[in-house]
Amino acid sequence: MTTVSLTSVDKYFGSVQVVRELSLEIADREFLVLLGPSGCGKTTTMRMIAGLEAPSAGTIAFDGVRVNEVPPQRRDVSMVFQNYGLYPHMSVAENIGYPLKLRGVPAAERDQRIRQAAARVQLEPFLARMPRELSGGQRQRVALARSIVRTPRVFLMDEPLSNLDAKLRVLARAQIKHLTQELQVTTVYVTHDQIEAMTLATRVAVMNDGVIRQIGTPEDIYNDPADTFVAGFIGSPAMNLLPVVADGQGTCRAGDLPLRVSPPRAGTTVLGIRSEDLELCSESEAMFGCEVYTFELLGDSTLLTAMIGDRLVAARAGKSVRLQAGARVWLRCSPDRLYWFDGETGLRLR
Amino acid sequence: MSRPQSVSNPIQGRAATTLRRGPGEGMQPARSPAPGYRPPLAERVALALRQSLILAGLASIVLPIVWMAITAFKLPRDVYSLDAALVFTPTLDNFRTVFAHPWNLGNKIANSILVAAGTVVVAVPMATLAAYAFSRFDFRFRQTIFLLVIASQFIPAAVVVLPYFLMFRDLGLLDTRTALVLINLSIVLPYAVWMIKGFIDAVPIEIEESAMIDGAGRFRVLAGIVVPAALPGIITAAVFSFTLTWNEFLFALILGKQDALTLPLGIVGFRTERGDLWELMAAGGLIITAPMFMLSLMVHRQFIGSLTAGSVR
Repeated sequence: MTTVSLTSVDKYFGSVQVVRELSLEIADREFLVLLGPSGCGKTTTMRMIAGLEAPSAGTIAFDGVRVNEVPPQRRDVSMVFQNYGLYPHMSVAENIGYPLKLRGVPAAERDQRIRQAAARVQLEPFLARMPRELSGGQRQRVALARSIVRTPRVFLMDEPLSNLDAKLRVLARAQIKHLTQELQVTTVYVTHDQIEAMTLATRVAVMNDGVIRQIGTPEDIYNDPADTFVAGFIGSPAMNLLPVVADGQGTCRAGDLPLRVSPPRAGTTVLGIRSEDLELCSESEAMFGCEVYTFELLGDSTLLTAMIGDRLVAARAGKSVRLQAGARVWLRCSPDRLYWFDGETGLRLR
Repeated sequence: MSRPQSVSNPIQGRAATTLRRGPGEGMQPARSPAPGYRPPLAERVALALRQSLILAGLASIVLPIVWMAITAFKLPRDVYSLDAALVFTPTLDNFRTVFAHPWNLGNKIANSILVAAGTVVVAVPMATLAAYAFSRFDFRFRQTIFLLVIASQFIPAAVVVLPYFLMFRDLGLLDTRTALVLINLSIVLPYAVWMIKGFIDAVPIEIEESAMIDGAGRFRVLAGIVVPAALPGIITAAVFSFTLTWNEFLFALILGKQDALTLPLGIVGFRTERGDLWELMAAGGLIITAPMFMLSLMVHRQFIGSLTAGSVR
């Protein structure tokens, strides 16, 4: 039962500011994902919550009580590290039981809880092994078991899946989701992978340059991006973003290409369209026409890419569509699926 | 093994030599050599030359030890005799003599063990704490202080021998094992700090952070996580410190008189007015060398390979 709040938190490393005036309220039992490219300050933010880094300014509080000065060992959080951080000289069981040992839990009870935690992540057969005798996926599960062997106030996970191969990652992701739902503990999860963010989070905070650009449910973030950064970061492929110049007399161009759209205002704006909202159509109903740059089969659908100016624009098409590079196509998009952003600031125009 | 032994052996031998040649050259002979293939003359000469150089180097190290080991079991009359260079009647008399009056090597062994063990027992924990601080804490002049610690070893011992003598005389510590422990600490600590720091540097910081989050304080992290993970290095440093102290001669010579004499000084005692008693020196030398030799063998066997494997990634 813990809420975490960050108020106007700054963090400098030397003269470099990595977190800027960051304020964030994490509700009890929420699964909050900090999402952003590498170097955006998301891991530093998490490490400040853990107590591994001290904020340069601002307040971090658990349940309204300031914890800035509380060292990590007394914050009662647990953390899964990107590199797992297993103790090399301890067996799997000892690794999992270490937090309990430090808390003076009697051996018999410790043993039982180690077994329970190991069972939750299917590690029982490996309890006697040493970390070096385990595969990457098993090590990751040991780190997970160690963090759930006690009930901490907050779970912290720092890119726990990034060292796993793609297939294992899907499995481990499902496991983490299942576990956190079952345990009902406030969780902060750091990732640069927007799919992990979309699938796991109750809320996503998209970060860039030490600042939260947008915070909301995965749905909000996807359907209602606040700026071009968020729009371009979320989605696979990312949202198409085209700089558009409108002269105010009904002509509108992206580079040299005339577009049949009506921007909310004259001047330079950025038009965002998700690839799945673009569809092939006849010339008369088209928003624009272009030449196919590449055409890819994805199995359940196809993806065609066109070069507009110096930008690639991706459009998803039906799985039976077949096109050749260089073919002329016309594309349209329903007007209510268009996103407009300010040409200067990148902020959404609403 | 369908291939006859007599054929496969020369092939393997040749394959091993061709592997060392430049890329491209060794392709065909390594795979299926023509019968009777011989490498070119220049290559055979180069190989022979290289092997004899290695042998010469090896001999210069091993022969004195072998000579010592043999001489230790010879009677005095056999030591200088060429006839008895390798064939002689072995005896344990020398070992009996060195432990008896007036040589009393037993006392010196005890002194050496006490001084070396005392030095290690103090040096290793101190060095571990210092190394941890140098490795993990960010403080002013960290680099400078560390360099100074290392640089203290560049001062020739002969320069500080006299000040040390005066100092220990004033402290009333001349001819005591305490003085030798203190002196040896000053020699051993910088090396130990430097060695252990290297191993602590290699311990991933994540496991320390993990332990802190799991609830361990700084000291607990050090004792329960860092020391076990850096244990191979710490043990290496301990053995190294022990050996250094065990073999230390100059300070033991200056500070010792009769009560605190160590083994190396015992050996020097065998140079008498009656001449050098080689057979006793050899026996004493064997007594000095054997424990170190066994210690390093044991350590080598036990701690090869990194204990940190598998902790991260």
